[in-house]
Amino acid sequence: MTEAATTLSAKDQKLKEAYFTASQSQLIWQRFKKNKSALFGAWTLIFLIFSGIFAPFLTPYDATIAGRDKDYLNGAPQIPQFCDDSGCSIRPFIYTFERTRSIKTNFRWVTEVKTELEDRRYVTFFSKGQEFKFLGLNFERHLFGVDSGMIHIFGTDSTGKDIYSRTLTAINTSMAVGTIGVFIAFVMALIIGGVAGYYGGWIDSVLQMITDTVRTIPSIPLFMALAAFVPDVWSAEMRFFFISMVLGFIGWPTLARRIRTHLLTERNQEYVLAAQLCGATPKHIIRRHLLPSFTSYIIVDLVISFPYMVLSETALSFIGLGLKDPVNSLGVMLQNVTSADVLLNYQWYFIPVIFFIVLVLAFVFVGDGLRDAADPYSDSK
Amino acid sequence: MLQFSKFVAVRAALAILTLVLVSFIVFTLMELVPGDCAERYVAFKNSQGSVITPEDIQIERIRLGLDQPYVQRWGSWIVNAFQGEFGDSCILRVNIAQLLGQKFWLSLGLCLSALLVAYAIAIPVGILAATSKNATLNNSLRLVSYLGLALPNFLLALMIMLFSTVMFGDSLTGLFSKEFRDAAWSYDKFKDFLGHAWLPVFILGWSATAFAIQTVRALMSDEIGKLYVTAAEARGVSGRRLLMRYPARHALSPIINSLGFDLNRIFNELPVVALILTLTEAGSLLIEALARSNDQQLAGAIIFMLTASIVGINFVTDIILALTDPRVRRSIVG
Repeated sequence: MTEAATTLSAKDQKLKEAYFTASQSQLIWQRFKKNKSALFGAWTLIFLIFSGIFAPFLTPYDATIAGRDKDYLNGAPQIPQFCDDSGCSIRPFIYTFERTRSIKTNFRWVTEVKTELEDRRYVTFFSKGQEFKFLGLNFERHLFGVDSGMIHIFGTDSTGKDIYSRTLTAINTSMAVGTIGVFIAFVMALIIGGVAGYYGGWIDSVLQMITDTVRTIPSIPLFMALAAFVPDVWSAEMRFFFISMVLGFIGWPTLARRIRTHLLTERNQEYVLAAQLCGATPKHIIRRHLLPSFTSYIIVDLVISFPYMVLSETALSFIGLGLKDPVNSLGVMLQNVTSADVLLNYQWYFIPVIFFIVLVLAFVFVGDGLRDAADPYSDSK
Repeated sequence: MLQFSKFVAVRAALAILTLVLVSFIVFTLMELVPGDCAERYVAFKNSQGSVITPEDIQIERIRLGLDQPYVQRWGSWIVNAFQGEFGDSCILRVNIAQLLGQKFWLSLGLCLSALLVAYAIAIPVGILAATSKNATLNNSLRLVSYLGLALPNFLLALMIMLFSTVMFGDSLTGLFSKEFRDAAWSYDKFKDFLGHAWLPVFILGWSATAFAIQTVRALMSDEIGKLYVTAAEARGVSGRRLLMRYPARHALSPIINSLGFDLNRIFNELPVVALILTLTEAGSLLIEALARSNDQQLAGAIIFMLTASIVGINFVTDIILALTDPRVRRSIVG
C-alpha cells in the first residue's frame, strides 16, 4: 500500500517536474494537442497547403488557358465509375464527350455523350501529361489522367479550363497573398506598436490617435478606391504584389494596438522589475523576458488575422478589383458565379467555395486553439 | 451637469480632430493615385472624339483650381466637406452631394438596421449562452459563430440567391420593385422597400450577429463569475432580476463602445453584398464610382462620408456610455 503510494507520488512528482521545466513551446504544444477541433483544423490546413504546393502534380492539367479543353466548355463534373449498362470494369472510366455541329443539331454546337464500350476513357495513374516546372525541374507525370481525351472531376468553366486544377492552384495564390499581407502588416504593427508601447507618454498618445483614425476608415471601400486606379497595363504579377501590399498596409492597426497594450502592461510587471534589480541590461530584458512573453500572442494574432486577408482578397477579386486572369485565386474563380445562368445551370462553379470555407474555417480553428494554448499557465493543471 | 457638458465638448472636439485626420489621409491618397481630375476629364472627352491638347489640360486644371498648393486645396476640401459639399464629380460633372444624397442615407439605413438586428439577436442569445450549461446549445452556437466568420456575407448572399433561384425562380435582388423605382416616397413605396430590404439587412447582419454573440457571451461569462454577483445572490436576488441588474449592466458598456467598429465591419461588406444583390440604389454606387470611372473626387467623398458616420456613431456611443456609466462621466478624456 505504502509502496504503491510512493511510486504514485514519485510518478506525480515526475509529471509535475516535467510540467514546470517544460519550455514554452512544449507547453503550448501539450495544450494544443488536447484541443481536438484545433488539431483537426491543423491537419486540414496542412493538407490544403500541401495540395496547393503540389498542385501541378496533383492536377492533371494546367490551370491557365493552356490547359483548356475545347471540347468540354461549361462541362459538368465527370465522376469516374466502374459499372454501366455495357458491363463493369476493374479500372474506373468516364465517357467521351464530343462537341458536334451538323444538320441534325440545326448547326448549333452541342455536346454529345458517347456511352458505348469503345468510347470509355479509362482513368490512369501517374500518367504522362503536360510538362510542368517544380523546384526548377521539369516533370510530366501527373497523379492521374485518362488514357485518351481529358478528365474533369470538378467540371470545366466557360472557356474549358479544368475547375479542379484551378481550385488547387488558387489555394496557392490565396495563401501567398495572405502571407505577404500579414507579413507587411506585422512589420508595420511591430514598429508602430513597439515604439508606442516602449516610449509611452505623448509619443504613445499621438501614435494611438493615428492608429485609431486609420482603424475608423472602412478598409474595403478604401481599398476599392485605390485598386480602381491600378492601370490596366499592369501585369498580373504586379497586381498581385500591389494587392498584397495594400492589404498589409490596411491591416496593421489592430495588431499594432495589441502589441502596444501588451508592451505597456508587461513593462511594469514584477519579473521585469526583478530582472532590472538583478542588473540585467535592457537588451537582455527585451530579448529574454519581454519577447518570449508575447511572441506566442503575436503568432496567435498573425494566425487569426490570416483568414481576414484571404477573405479581403477574395472579396476584392470577386468584384473584379483584385486579381485577374490568368492569376488564379479563389476570388477570381467566383467572379462569374453571380449570373442567373450559372446559378441555374452550372452549379459546379460553386465547388471552389467549399474549399474556400474549409480553408478559412481551418485557420479559425487553429487560431482559436493556439490562442487557448498560448497562455500555458492560465489554468491550474 | 457642467461636468457632463464638458465631457460632451471634449468628445466632440476629439471627433472633429479625428475627422480632420481622416480627411487628410483620404485626400492624400486621392492625390497619390496616378493622374488628376483634369487629365481624367480631358481623357474622357478625348475618347468621345474631340481633339485635346496639353494646353486644354492646363486650362482645365486652372479652372478646377488644381494649380494651387496642396495644403490650400486640402484646406478648402475639408471646409467644404464639413458642410456636406464635395464639389463636382470628375467625370459625371454632377454635384456629388446631389448624386449621393438619398443613396447614402439608404445605405446607412441598411447598415444601421443590420447592426440593430445583429444586437437584437445577439444580446439575448449571448446572455443565454453564457448562463446555460447546456452543451448542445453552446456547441451549436459555436458552430454558428464560426460559420459567421468563414461564410463571408457575399458567399451567404450567393447561396441564398442560388437557393431562391432554384426553389422559387426569383433571385430576390434589388431594393425596389420596378414600378416604384423612380416614384416619390409614399406609403406603398415604403412597404415595397421593406419587402425587399429584409434580405440585404439579414445578409449584412449575419456575420455581425455571429461576432456579437461571441462578444456578449465572453463578456457575460467574465462578469457572472465576479464577487459582486455572488454578493447580490447572497442578498437574495436571483433569476432574471439578478442577471439584468448586475452582470448585464456591466457587460453592456464594452458592447456600446464597440458599436462603431461593428458598423465599420458592416461597411466593409456593403459594397460586395450590394453588387451581388444588385442594389444599385445603395452601396454598389460605390463600386461604380470607384471601379468603372476611377473618379477620385467621388471616391474621396464616399469614403469620407462613411468614415464620418462611423466617427458620428462613436461620438453618440460615448455620450450614451457617459449617461449610463458614471465612471465614464468622471474621467473626462479617457
